[in-house]
Amino acid sequence: MKKTIVTGLLAFVALSTQAQKKIEYVEYDLPNGIHVILHEEHSTPNVAVSILYHVGSKNENPERTGFAHFFEHLLFEGSANIGRGEYSELVEKNGGTLNANTSQDRTYYYEILPSNQLELGLWLESERLLHAKVDNTGIETQRSVVKEEKRQRVDNQPYASFITEMFKRMFTVHPYNWVPIGSMEHLDAAQEEDYVNFYKTFYVPQNATLSIAGDLNIAETKKWIDKYYGSIPKGQAINLFRDFENLSDADFEKRYGIAKSKFDAKDFMNSKNPEAKKLITTMASKPVDIPRPTKDTEKLNGVIKDVVYDNIQLPALFMGYKFPAQTDPDVYALEMMNEVLSGGASSRINKSIVEKKEMATFAFSFNYGLEDAGVGIFAAIAANGVSLDSIQMEFDAQIELMKTELISQEEFEKVRNKIENDLVSSNSSIAGVAENLADNHVYYGSASRVNTQLEGYMKVTREDILRVAKKYLTQDARVILHYLPKETK
Amino acid sequence: MKKLFILTGLLVPAVLFGQLDRSVRPAAAKAPTINIKDSEVFTTETGITVILSENHKLPKVAFNFVMGSDPITEGNKAGLSELAGSLILSGTSARTKDKLDGEKDYIGATLEASESNLYLSCLTKHMNKGLELMSDVFYNANFPESEFDRVKKQNESNLMSAKSDPGTMADNVERKVNFPNHPYGDVMTEESLKNITRDDIVNYYKAIFTTKGSYMVIVGDITKEQATQLVNKYFAKSSGIAPYKQEVGKGEFNKGNRVIFVKKPGAVQSVIQVSFPLDIRTGNQNQLPLTVLNGVFGGGGFGTRLMQNLREDKAYTYGCYSTLNVTEDGSWLSIGGNFRNDVSDSAIAQILFELDRITNGYVTDDELNLTKSSMAGGFSRSLENPQTIARFALNIIKNNLNKDYYQSYLKRLEAINKEDILTMAQQYFTAKNCNIVVVGNEEIVERLKQFDADGKIEFLDAFGNEVKEMKAADITKEELIDKYIYAVTKTTSKKAAAKKLKKIKSVMEETELSMSQIPFPLKNTKVWVAPSTEGQKLEGQGMVLQKSYFDGSAGSSTNMQTGQKELTEKEIAAKKKSVGLFPELNYVSTGMKYELVGIENVDGVDMYVLKWNDGETETFDYYNTKSFMKVKSISIQKDGEETVETTATYSDFKDVNGLLFPHTMTLSVGEVTFSGKTTSITVNGKVDISKFK
Repeated sequence: MKKTIVTGLLAFVALSTQAQKKIEYVEYDLPNGIHVILHEEHSTPNVAVSILYHVGSKNENPERTGFAHFFEHLLFEGSANIGRGEYSELVEKNGGTLNANTSQDRTYYYEILPSNQLELGLWLESERLLHAKVDNTGIETQRSVVKEEKRQRVDNQPYASFITEMFKRMFTVHPYNWVPIGSMEHLDAAQEEDYVNFYKTFYVPQNATLSIAGDLNIAETKKWIDKYYGSIPKGQAINLFRDFENLSDADFEKRYGIAKSKFDAKDFMNSKNPEAKKLITTMASKPVDIPRPTKDTEKLNGVIKDVVYDNIQLPALFMGYKFPAQTDPDVYALEMMNEVLSGGASSRINKSIVEKKEMATFAFSFNYGLEDAGVGIFAAIAANGVSLDSIQMEFDAQIELMKTELISQEEFEKVRNKIENDLVSSNSSIAGVAENLADNHVYYGSASRVNTQLEGYMKVTREDILRVAKKYLTQDARVILHYLPKETK
Repeated sequence: MKKLFILTGLLVPAVLFGQLDRSVRPAAAKAPTINIKDSEVFTTETGITVILSENHKLPKVAFNFVMGSDPITEGNKAGLSELAGSLILSGTSARTKDKLDGEKDYIGATLEASESNLYLSCLTKHMNKGLELMSDVFYNANFPESEFDRVKKQNESNLMSAKSDPGTMADNVERKVNFPNHPYGDVMTEESLKNITRDDIVNYYKAIFTTKGSYMVIVGDITKEQATQLVNKYFAKSSGIAPYKQEVGKGEFNKGNRVIFVKKPGAVQSVIQVSFPLDIRTGNQNQLPLTVLNGVFGGGGFGTRLMQNLREDKAYTYGCYSTLNVTEDGSWLSIGGNFRNDVSDSAIAQILFELDRITNGYVTDDELNLTKSSMAGGFSRSLENPQTIARFALNIIKNNLNKDYYQSYLKRLEAINKEDILTMAQQYFTAKNCNIVVVGNEEIVERLKQFDADGKIEFLDAFGNEVKEMKAADITKEELIDKYIYAVTKTTSKKAAAKKLKKIKSVMEETELSMSQIPFPLKNTKVWVAPSTEGQKLEGQGMVLQKSYFDGSAGSSTNMQTGQKELTEKEIAAKKKSVGLFPELNYVSTGMKYELVGIENVDGVDMYVLKWNDGETETFDYYNTKSFMKVKSISIQKDGEETVETTATYSDFKDVNGLLFPHTMTLSVGEVTFSGKTTSITVNGKVDISKFK
């Protein structure tokens, strides 16, 4: 009887068609290299203005970690035309909101504004790109803010260091070796010059994706983009302009061999002086060299087992597997596998380890997907008196099952439904659409993936899930971390 | 052709090579018009008004099934509607709660309920299944006894917490005084909760959840044809009788200011709420200018009149805000914040001053513009949520508003000028007919008399009910302590009690504490070793959450988050004042400051209230005037500007080795309430005090 009900339900779901709607957009490159994506939709009179800079902690100098995240803070300090604290003030006064975030791969800034303030938003972001304030006053202020953030979000949070500890062992060559929050010593040791150089290297037009979604008129928006972004100098010319604004006459002449007075302060790029003109042309033709690590190819050699002592009461187990970069086609199947293992209260790990066997107070798995590599993580906080080894055995049993048996048809359908619902909901706000478009352009080489992503998941078969489980859940090559209370050391 | 050429020739250089003055901040373009599409409205045979707002942006759809009944006046069963709302999804005659949850999860849907609506949101392709579940709940909810008991218990602990939360207390009282004999004045109490039966819930459900007069608000990716077909399919059966209707009043308008005081022993801050009803209902043309007025006055942000005066200028508070509530059933303005004891009277004076000032002159252009642009932005962003559109559509139908009421919102907002604001202030605001509710320390009461029109301050309790004045005690504090000790030791003389107590060398009490929000119980262990060593430990899931010990001269406390801390000199001095198994016996020798405050009637029972202060904590112990047992204890610990209040109640006293110990207790700390059962008491056993260090 029960079985018929389930089958009936399945048949009903199978009949339904796929739900995703197409997201329309236009995209183009400005001559200076900025990639522009515009999504026009008028359902509400709002607009989301965002810029994705393709710089994250993986682009940092190993001696200067934490810079990318630090810049996320620093670049709210103002610009040549925007005073300290004015970024948020201007946005809020005009009925908008703003924020930013940083990962291993990117730094992302955005404003959500009433659509009649689109020009304001474009101007604000163009100021951040062209000539943000990168000076000691701002650096000092933000150093203490970032330190406080680290204290709150990492140091004082039990187990919070597990990503740091896992990545340290998983990547010894690739700069995923460290995490975005980075080292406070590095931030302290860095000089103003280091910060200025970081800005000059990564905050340049060729590294920026301007993604705008909402109640906009494409032709008019393009005009404004030309006005505020088209005028931003190309290649190294942007840094010439920044030096022109920031260096003293003597320093500028020393660096470039031309006096500042030869340039037109009001219309720099159109300076009439032939020497100045020549230098601008030369600099504009030189692209900025943006350092990017090569994709991670390091193989794990066997099982790396370690103990980490932390301010905790209950021991915890963290296991890590090498997963492919997020662009790999196998990722669709891996994420569906994770949903089976750990998606919600009725998932396998929660049902077995937490509810039935009561071995852990909390257990889950997830895919930490990044541009150059991924990490599959299994984690559990032990219930009192339960050994980490026995939890590992239970995880291993679940992994073994995943690698030897097809998931049930019912699990398969539930996971498909959940993924579809999640994907659809991720495009429910203009801010979400702007971000998805930018991400897909930068990481997957095409914004169009917003419209094909669901297809990617729906193509996955139960056999695919079995196959990727076998391929990536390598029991003889993984990192196993035991978190133990400090006093047991 | 030529013209075009010239135009391009002019344009291109202007954009690409022309100089751009970047210091010029772009001005706002013309305020956008909003695209709120007209909704389709039609009525089904069963009397449901369907309001459909198609939005095909995403393949999702939401159904908000809103009942047409008016709110009921609950009287001595206050809280009934709320309880019913939280029970509707507890199962149906066809599906247990687990089954209902399971089927809902399978399609990834949201299904929620309140006292007057059911709400479903899912992908369009799953709407049939989702509506099947919603329909089942609407027609067949069966309110299982076990769920009724569970939810009732959960509300009991919430009420315990409400009694110590000054914000909730002030809200309760504000509702009661502005809306007597009105649904808004129904405040759930322990007594009213007890009065509610499962039958009441079932009757409520039958009376309120009717097809007739209800609204089905549908927003999302669905056509009119589909919507019609689905509503007719799943809600074909007429249910219930006509919707419940009653004319509710507008609230009670004062003549003269009225001060209402709620005692919060030991408070270092007062919660002050100045309020009055407003004669306006949803959709009235004055609603928008009134909202702008409130924005300038104290509606949010740092720039408002209230914040500028009471925070920025006088530093009386961290925040002082005014909240405008306009509804279909009653409206009111509430102005308030937290204020230090010594400035509580000055704060009230300034709030009244600002109320008066805004009715006597124009607001500035800056004030007006800031409020208008932040309201415009907030309104626009709120439109991204399909539920906002649904709410608008429903408001238009229910309140007979113009079809373009929300469509024209920004235009109407833009047109509001300072003359309008002054008119609104003069029409609705008053500094002379307010309800001034103060929850705070009794010591400030005298200074509040000046604000009351007749100079008589009313005293209400945490739920807005009258409190009886405390009676003078009929015995001395020494006699009370003696009688308490006789009661606990079951003796009748000092000598006999002392003899019995001398034999007690140690006591270990273990209690299991549970609360509805935590799935596992906590274990509390309390030990005492003669003469003055004590320890306490709280454990959960095998983790030690906190522990402390004191050996008569030194000690420490350990907290999972902050680690171990040695007791400070001051803490040690305080601890030394309350040593012993029954510290009351030693109050004289330890130099404790204590006094018998009087007899208070608590929930119908007379209690002696003994107040003591060890320099760190002020405590009020309640002793039953008949049995002399200690049944309640409220401790207030000051932590800078804040106070932490702990309330414990004790009952179920049983004999252990000749002494009476409570075996049931409740413990409320801040907003959290635990109920406790004693699992073991060991007298004169071996105690390892090192386990508490």
